[in-house]
Amino acid sequence: MKKILVLFAIFTSFFFLAGTNAKACELNNSVPVTSLSAGFDAWKVVTSAMEECGNFTPTLDQEYRDKLVASLESNPSQFTMAGVSASTNVSVLDAGVTRPLDDLVAKYGDSLQDNQKIVIDGKIMAIAMMTNAQHLFYREDILSDLGIDIPTTYDELLKAAKVIKDAGVVDYPLGGTFKSGWNLGEEFVNMYLGFADSFFDGNMPAVNNNDGYETLKMMKKLTEYMDPEYLTSDSTYVQQQFQQGKIALANLWASRAGAMDNAEESTVVGLVKFASAPKAKKNGKPASTLWWDGVVIAKNVTDEEAEAAFKLAMVGLDPANLGANPEAAPWLSNAFDPAPSNIGAILTAKSGAAPYPASAKMSTLHGVLGAAIGDYLTGAATAKATLEKIEADYITAATEKGLL
Amino acid sequence: MESKLFNLTTPLKIIVSITIITWCIIALFPLLWIVVMSIKLPVDSFASNPLKVIIGPSTKEQVGGLSFVNFIFLFLSIYLFYKLYQIRKILFDLINPILKFSLITFFILFILYITISFILFFLIQNNLSEFVNILFSNLEFLKIFSYPIIGFTPQHYLSVWVGNEFYKQFLNTMIVTGGVVTISLTVGTLAGYGLARSNSMIAFWLLIFALIFRALPHSVLVTGYLEPFINYGLYGKKIAVIVLLVAINQPFTIWMLRSFFMNIPQDLDEAAQIDGCNPFQAFWKVVMPLMWPGVITTGLFSFLLAYNDYLVAALLLDGQSQTMVPAIMQYFNMETKMTDLVESIAAAASITAPLFLLVMFFQKQIVSGLTQGAVKG
Amino acid sequence: MKKSTFLVFTMPSFIMMTLFIALPLLIVLIQSFQFNQDVLETIERENCDPFGCKTETITVPVLDENGNKIKNNIWVGFQNYKNILKFEQLSSVISNDGFEWSKIRSIDFYKALRFTLTFTFITLPFVIILGLILALCVNVLINRLKGPIIFITLLPFIITPVIGALSIKWLFIGDGILTLFLENILDKDIALFSQGWTIEILMLFYRVWHTIPFAFVIFYAGLQTVDKEKIEAAFVDGANRLQRLRFIIIPHIMPLIVFVALIHLMDSYRVFDEIVGFSASGFRISLQWMTYDFLRIDDSGTRSIGRASATSVLTMIGIIIILIPVLRRTFKEQKEKRL
Repeated sequence: MKKILVLFAIFTSFFFLAGTNAKACELNNSVPVTSLSAGFDAWKVVTSAMEECGNFTPTLDQEYRDKLVASLESNPSQFTMAGVSASTNVSVLDAGVTRPLDDLVAKYGDSLQDNQKIVIDGKIMAIAMMTNAQHLFYREDILSDLGIDIPTTYDELLKAAKVIKDAGVVDYPLGGTFKSGWNLGEEFVNMYLGFADSFFDGNMPAVNNNDGYETLKMMKKLTEYMDPEYLTSDSTYVQQQFQQGKIALANLWASRAGAMDNAEESTVVGLVKFASAPKAKKNGKPASTLWWDGVVIAKNVTDEEAEAAFKLAMVGLDPANLGANPEAAPWLSNAFDPAPSNIGAILTAKSGAAPYPASAKMSTLHGVLGAAIGDYLTGAATAKATLEKIEADYITAATEKGLL
Repeated sequence: MESKLFNLTTPLKIIVSITIITWCIIALFPLLWIVVMSIKLPVDSFASNPLKVIIGPSTKEQVGGLSFVNFIFLFLSIYLFYKLYQIRKILFDLINPILKFSLITFFILFILYITISFILFFLIQNNLSEFVNILFSNLEFLKIFSYPIIGFTPQHYLSVWVGNEFYKQFLNTMIVTGGVVTISLTVGTLAGYGLARSNSMIAFWLLIFALIFRALPHSVLVTGYLEPFINYGLYGKKIAVIVLLVAINQPFTIWMLRSFFMNIPQDLDEAAQIDGCNPFQAFWKVVMPLMWPGVITTGLFSFLLAYNDYLVAALLLDGQSQTMVPAIMQYFNMETKMTDLVESIAAAASITAPLFLLVMFFQKQIVSGLTQGAVKG
Repeated sequence: MKKSTFLVFTMPSFIMMTLFIALPLLIVLIQSFQFNQDVLETIERENCDPFGCKTETITVPVLDENGNKIKNNIWVGFQNYKNILKFEQLSSVISNDGFEWSKIRSIDFYKALRFTLTFTFITLPFVIILGLILALCVNVLINRLKGPIIFITLLPFIITPVIGALSIKWLFIGDGILTLFLENILDKDIALFSQGWTIEILMLFYRVWHTIPFAFVIFYAGLQTVDKEKIEAAFVDGANRLQRLRFIIIPHIMPLIVFVALIHLMDSYRVFDEIVGFSASGFRISLQWMTYDFLRIDDSGTRSIGRASATSVLTMIGIIIILIPVLRRTFKEQKEKRL
C-alpha cells in the first residue's frame, strides 16, 4: 500500500510538473510535436527516446495505416510526423502530404547513412531506420529433440510440423499472422512471391492462375497445424504464443525477434532461433518480402514544427540509442554489430527475397486479398471461387479509383 | 388484503429468487471481471485458473496487496460513499431555496459531490488504512490482519492516465459530450414544447419524419458529410462530431421532451398568457420550471449517446482530438506486450466509472425517462 | 398555439434536422450514383530505398497548386449498386448450381444482410420475453431490494457498447476463463473465435444482455400502472397466476411491447459495435459495418465513397421496409390522437 501512496503523490504532483519532465536528452524541445506510427518494439525504442526531450506525444497504433493519410491530409495536419513503412510511404507520397527533408538533413542529419535516405526523384522524402521481413522463428530445443533439420522450404516445414504434432510436444506446432485484413493479405503476398514474380499483368491483376492456386493451397495446409483461432491472430498473438511455449515454428516479423528473449514475458528465453524465410518452391526465392520502416514529416505543419520534429527524430534514431537496443529491430546502422535476433532478416535478404512491390495498385490488391482469403481458409469458398472473387473485387475497387 | 393477493407460493419464490440472482450475476460478472483483471500483473490477469486471477499470487508477491485491514476500510469508505449518496436529497433540498434549482447548480453540486467523495476515499484508503495497517503489523496478535490477501496494483491505471496522458482524451470526450448535451437540449426543448402544444399537420409530419430519422443507421449521416467535412478542413475538429451527434440525437430528443411537455397541463401556459405573458415568457417562466426533471432525463440520454459513440468519432477524429472510446480501441492495436493488454483493460474499466456514477445518481430519472417516452410516445 | 409561434419554437430543430439529416441523405443519394475519384496521371518515378534504386512507371494522383488531390465526381448510373449487389454473380450462382447459400454468402452484401437480419430478429423475442420475466420478478420483490437490483440491471444498458462487447470477449477468447470452464464441462477443446457461428452466438448474447435492461425498465414501469381492481376481480373469479398474466397484464402492456420491439428493431438493425468489439469482421459483417469499412481509408489512401453511399441507401431501404408495419400503426395512432 505504501506504493499506492507514493504513486498517488506522483499522480498529483504530475499536474504541477507537467511539461518540465525533460531528462536524459540534451535537446530541450519547446515546440509541441506529435507522431503517429505502428506500435511494435522498434517504435517504442525510438519514440520513448524522443519523449525524454519533452513536448512530444507519440501515438502508437498497429492499425495506423487506417488513418495515416486522412490525418496528414487535414490542414493543419493532425500529426507533425509519422512512422511509415515501404507501402504506407507510397500512399503518403501519392497524396503529397509529406515534405522534402533535404534542408533538414543537411543541417541536422550528420548521423544518417546514405541507405537511410529514401530519395524520390532526387528529393529525400523519408528517413528509414530499420529493415523488416517475415522469417522463420523456430524452437531449437524441440527441433533437435525430434531430430528435425531447420526447414528451408514450406514442404519441409509442414513435415516438421507433422512430426512435432505427432510427438505431442505442443498442440499446435505452427503460428501464423493470419488475422483477416492486412496481415492475411501480407501472408498471401509473401507466399505468392515464393511461387511467382509479379502480381500484375499491365494494369490487370495476375493472381488468378496456377501460382495463386498453389499459394492458397499452401496457406490452407499451414492452417491445419495452427491454433484454430488463426483468423484473429496478429503478430502480437503469435509472439505471445511463442513466449508461452505454445508453438514451435512460425514465419514472423524480424521486429518481434527480440521479444523472444525478454525474460519478463517469455518462458522460452534462449530457445527460439531464427533462420531465413522458407522457400515455397525448392529452387525459388524465400517466400517473404523485404520492408523498411522510417519517419516522414507532414507538409501541413509550420517550418518551425517540422524542424523541431526532425531534430527529435534524430534523437530517436541516434546510433547510440539504437545501439543500446540492438535486439529491437534490424536497425539500418553500421555503428554497431547486429544482434543475434537480427540474423533471420539478414539471411532472408541474402537468399534473395524481393522488396515489397509497393504501389497504389498493390495496396488496393493487398486490401482485397486480406478480405477475401478468410472464406477460403474456413472452407466457406473454394480456391477457384476465391481467386475469381479477388480478381473481380480488385477490378471493382480499381475502377472506382480510376486505376483502370 | 393486497399483500395476501400478491403473496407467492414457495416454489414461485424460489423461481423468482433464482431468476434474479442469475440475472444479477450475468449482468455484473463481465464488468467486475475486467476490473479484477486490471488490478493484477499480466501473469495473474491471464492465468487460466480463475482463482489465481482473483487472488493474484504473483502480484501479491511482487507488488503487494490488500490486507484484511484495507478491506475493512474499503467497505467503510464505500458505506460512507453510500451514506453521502443517500443524504444528497436532503442536501439539495437545503441548498435549493437559496440557489434556486437550476441545471447549473445541479451540475455544480454533482461535481462537488464527486470531488469530495473521491478526496475522502483517497484520504481514507491511503492514509488511514495504511496507518492502521502499519500499526497492526507491529502488534504481534494483530499481525495477521495486516497481511495482504488479494494482490493489487494500480500501476496499469497510472500508466494509462499519467504515462499515456489519457486525461487528454477524457477532456475531448467531455467537450464533445458537453457540446452535444447542451445543443441537443436547447434546440430540442424549444421544439418539444412547440410540438406538444400544436395540433397542426406540420407538427404531425415533423414527428413522423423524426421517427423515421430515428431509425437511420448512423453511418448514413457520416457518409453524407465525410467528404464535405474533409474538404472544408473539419476533419479532426470536435465541432464536426458534435454537430453530427446532435443531429443523430435530435429525433429522440424531441419525441422525449414532447412527451414530458404533454404532461404539463396546457391550462398553465394559457393562464399565464391571459395574465399578460407572451408565449415565450409563458414558456420560460411558467412551463420550464416544471420541466427540469424532463430536461435532465433527456440530457442523460444525450450524454450516453455522445459518451458511448464509437462510429462517428472513429471516422472523424484523430490524434489530439481523439475521444476515449476510439482511443481505447487503439490501445488494443498498440499492444505488443502483455502489460499493454492489461493497460488497455484498465483504460476500458476506467471509462465505465463515470457511467457507473451516473446510474447511481440518476437511476430514478433514467427509469422515469424511459417510462415517459414509452407510455406517452 | 398559433402557427407562427409554433414555427418559431420548432424552427431551430427543423433547420438542424434538414441540414444535418435530410441534406446528408440527399448527398448520399447523389453520391451513390457517382464515383468519387482522384484525377490520376501516369508518371515515371525514381525511388531509392535501402534495397536499391529503381525507376517505375506508376499512376499517381494529380495535385493542385496547394498540394491537395484534385477530386472528380463521375456519374456512373447504377454501377455502385451493381458492384454491391452483384446480380450477375448471384444469378450465375443460382442458375449453375441451384440455390446454394455458401456461394451466395461469398458476396459481401448478402453476407452482411443475412447477419443483420438474423441478428435483428433472433434477439427480438429474447429481449422481450426475458425483459418481461425480469420485470415480473422484480415487481414482486420487497421494496428494499428493488433499488439495488434495478441499479445492477441498468449497468449492461448504459455501458459503452464497444467496451461491453470487449468485456464479454475477454471471458471467452483463447483460453479465457469461461472457455476453460466450458472445456471442463464438455471435456473437449473449444475455440470460440475460430468459426463464425460461435462468434455470432456470442454477439447475439451480448446484444440481449445489453438490451434486456431497457425492456425491463419499460415493462416494469408498465406493471406499476396495471389496474389492481381488475386483478383482484380475476382472482376472485378463480383465475390463476398464468391466466391473470395472459388476460390482464399482457394486454395492458401490449403498447409497451410494441414500443420496445420498435426501438429494438431500429437499434439492432444498425449493429456495428459488436463487430468491432468482438473483432468479428473476418467472419461476420453487418450492413452498417460495410458502410464503415468503405468509408475507412484503405492502404492506397482513398475511400470508397460511392460504394459506401450505395450501401447506405440500401441499408435505409431495408430498415424502412422492416418498420413499415410499425410506422403505419404509429401513423394511425398519432393521427387519431390529433382528430
